[in-house]
Amino acid sequence: MRKEDIALILLMAAIALIAYLVAYYGITGPYPFYQLRTLGAVYIYVTLLKQSGLWAASPEAVTAILWDYRGLDTVFETSVFFLAIISAVALFRLTPKYEKEYKELGKKVKDTGLSLIVKLITKIVLVMIIAISASIALHGQLTPGGGFQGGSALAVAPILLIIGFSVWYVEKLGFTKTRALTLRTIGLVTITLIALIPIIYSLITMSGAYILQNQPKPGAPFSYPERVLGVFSGSLLFLNIAEYLAVANGFLVTFILLAIPEVIYFKIIKEERGGE
Amino acid sequence: MIFPLLHLVLIAIAVSLALIFTYRAVLEKDLVKAVAFSAAQSTAFALVFYLLAAPDIVLAYVAIAVGIYTAIMLFLIRKTESYEEV
Repeated sequence: MRKEDIALILLMAAIALIAYLVAYYGITGPYPFYQLRTLGAVYIYVTLLKQSGLWAASPEAVTAILWDYRGLDTVFETSVFFLAIISAVALFRLTPKYEKEYKELGKKVKDTGLSLIVKLITKIVLVMIIAISASIALHGQLTPGGGFQGGSALAVAPILLIIGFSVWYVEKLGFTKTRALTLRTIGLVTITLIALIPIIYSLITMSGAYILQNQPKPGAPFSYPERVLGVFSGSLLFLNIAEYLAVANGFLVTFILLAIPEVIYFKIIKEERGGE
Repeated sequence: MIFPLLHLVLIAIAVSLALIFTYRAVLEKDLVKAVAFSAAQSTAFALVFYLLAAPDIVLAYVAIAVGIYTAIMLFLIRKTESYEEV
C-alpha cells in the first residue's frame, strides 16, 4: 500500500468523524425546520390537490414542474440538445461514396467484437436495459423518472452493442443512422405539436389557452385527457414518450457516428488535401 | 433534524470516496484508467444524490455520467492518444 493511499484513508476517516460530530452536536448551527419552505409547500399543494385549480394531473411534482409549470424551460433544453446532435451529425457526415466504402468495410471485417461470454451477457443485459428505460419513461408522471432519464438509460444499450459486437451489427439490426434521425425528428415534432395544440384549439373555439397547457385553467378551458387507460396522464405521458424517443435516438446517432472507423475519415482528409 | 445521523455519515463517506477517485483520476497518466476512476467517482456521487432524496437526478446521472460520458471519453481516447506525456 502506497503512502498516499494511507493518507487518503486517514482523510476519509477524518471526514466521517467530522460528519458524525457535526450531525451529533449540531456544530454548524441550528438544524433546518421541520416545516417545508413556502415554495416547496406551494408546489406540493398544487400538484397533489385537484381543487387548487392548477394541478398537472400527475402526483409526481418533479415531472409536473418539468413539463407543466416550467414547461418552456424543458422545451428550450430539448432544443439545445437538438442543436448539439445536429452539429455532431454535420461534423461526422459521410458522402455517399464514403458511406458505401464504410458498408463494404463492414462486409470485409470478420469476427468482430469481444468474446462469446461478453456477447451473451450483453444480450441478457440489453433486455433489462430496454425494460427499465421503458418503465422509467412511461411511469414518469407517477414515479421519479421521465423522458430524458429513460432516454439516456436506453442510450446505454447501443454502446454495449457497439463495443460487444460492432457498429455494422447495430446497423444490421435495423438501427441505422437515417432511421434514428427520423425517429428523433418524429419525437421533436410531437413535442412541438403537443405544445401548440392548445393554441390551435383556442383559435377554433375562440377561447383562451396557454402554450404547453395541460389541464384547464381559469379562462382557458382546454384540457388533455386527465387519465389514459385509468392512469393519471395529462399531457405529461405524451411529452415523456416523445422526449424518450428523441433523446434515445439522438444518442444512438451520435454513437454510430463516433464508432465509424477512423480509416474512412483519414481517407476523406487525404482527399481534401489533394492526395498528400 | 431532517437527515438522520446515519445519512450524514454515509454522505460524508461517499463524498470522500469521490474525492479520492477524483484525485487518482487527475494524477493517472494512463487515460483509460483515468476514465475508469472518473466513472467510479460518478458512482459515489450517484449514491450521494440518492441519499439527498433526489431520485430524478439519480436516474439521469447514473446513465449519463457512468455510461454515456465514459463511453464518449473512451471513443475519444481511441481516436487520439491513450497516454498522457508531460
